[in-house]
Amino acid sequence: MDFITEYFPLIIEGFLVTVQVTFFGAIMGLVLGTLLAIGDLYGGKIISTIIKFYVEFFRGSALVAQLFIFYFSIPTMLKIIPIPFITGLIVFALNSAAYQKGYIKGAMESVYEDQMTAALSLGLSKAQAIRYVVLPQAMRIVIPPWGNEFCSLAKSSAALLTIGVRDLTSAGKSIASWTWRVLEVYPFIALIYLLWISVVMKFLDILYNKVKIPGIEITV
Amino acid sequence: MADIVMECRNLWKIYGNITAVKDVSLEIKEGDIKLIFGPSGSGKSTFLRCLAMLTTPTKGDVFLRGECLTRHGVNLNKARARIGFVFQLIWLFHHLNALGNVELGLRRVLKLPKEEARKRAMEALKAVRMEEWANHYPAQLSGGQQQRVGIARALAKNPDIILLDEPTSALDPELTGEVIDTLRDLAKEGITMLIVTHEMPFAREVADEMIFFDQGTIVERGLPELFFTNPSSDRARRFMARLIKRTRREE
Repeated sequence: MDFITEYFPLIIEGFLVTVQVTFFGAIMGLVLGTLLAIGDLYGGKIISTIIKFYVEFFRGSALVAQLFIFYFSIPTMLKIIPIPFITGLIVFALNSAAYQKGYIKGAMESVYEDQMTAALSLGLSKAQAIRYVVLPQAMRIVIPPWGNEFCSLAKSSAALLTIGVRDLTSAGKSIASWTWRVLEVYPFIALIYLLWISVVMKFLDILYNKVKIPGIEITV
Repeated sequence: MADIVMECRNLWKIYGNITAVKDVSLEIKEGDIKLIFGPSGSGKSTFLRCLAMLTTPTKGDVFLRGECLTRHGVNLNKARARIGFVFQLIWLFHHLNALGNVELGLRRVLKLPKEEARKRAMEALKAVRMEEWANHYPAQLSGGQQQRVGIARALAKNPDIILLDEPTSALDPELTGEVIDTLRDLAKEGITMLIVTHEMPFAREVADEMIFFDQGTIVERGLPELFFTNPSSDRARRFMARLIKRTRREE
């Protein structure tokens, strides 16, 4: 396993790229997904229809195709030179938002009606009611599905190598082609994914239990 | 003559081909305690929600201290901040403890500074004898305790009036007792209230007026004595007879 020491910097570099794209993609997806969920629930028919098309597109087409559209098609149209990492991040955020919108909307609907009415009765505006009453409860419910989304995003990040991002899988591919140690390199790369995702899952588990509302078991 | 706190004129609420509230007019003066009772499905809850503008009336006007709330362009959030509402199914915010439930409106609607909001929330919890439970979450409280927090939440903002929609009907008789005691305290404080309830001994004790509601409208109204001795409408007489029988059974 001396390739590990030899190419350590390359592996770390690739790992950090994967972590960054996944992490920031998931966070940006969360913010955008929340806005989409709010827009879908309260924005009226037109906004809701636009959001539906958006979601259908990102859920219904291949991730690699989406990467190509944002890396080749759109930049050609706009006559700009795309940066692989930034393009990857944008596509991951947009793609993840489409999925996360579904989870968040479902969670918001599960706390929606009575809590909203009670909040309005205090004189809170609808926006305040969403901010202080609906979302804090919905976000707790959404943690487990969010974990799944993070997990799938982390693994999909390997698709980034198709637009030339030097991510973890791409690093592995390079090392394998230089050393011909395919038997060791790819399982080792897979192991890094596994360890990293396990750590994040454990962390989300702790977070979920920490923010659990005392006295109730939230069942998802 | 005391000021009129809340008033509605010819109020209607129609859902499709169902008329939930039919041409109701009512005045509530400062310090009044009025009780609404009547069969389920008779539109009492809908009527209360119309008064609080939690649902928009189809026709007619609602006034809060002379200000018309049904006019176009009224800031309903501001108006609702002056109306306390207590729900049949309580509806505390699950993710906040008792104090947090009471504080939320004070902090975000009345924009009180943290310390003052806390102080006023604690006073409201004290008024419903729940100050020792301030740090408990709704799911850790009994139904009666939850409803007392619900009352504190409505009370804390010093509303012009509190509307209570069957505050005890989701509770067993024992828990009902503690909530009724709380309401009795509020009555002594002179708080203006419109209460939908079927707790007849309580009604007899505190009500300035009782209003019998059926099929979306006021069938009969008057002093409690009228209903306990000789209601003039048949419908009210039959309903009272059943209620009194039930109350005796519970006692």
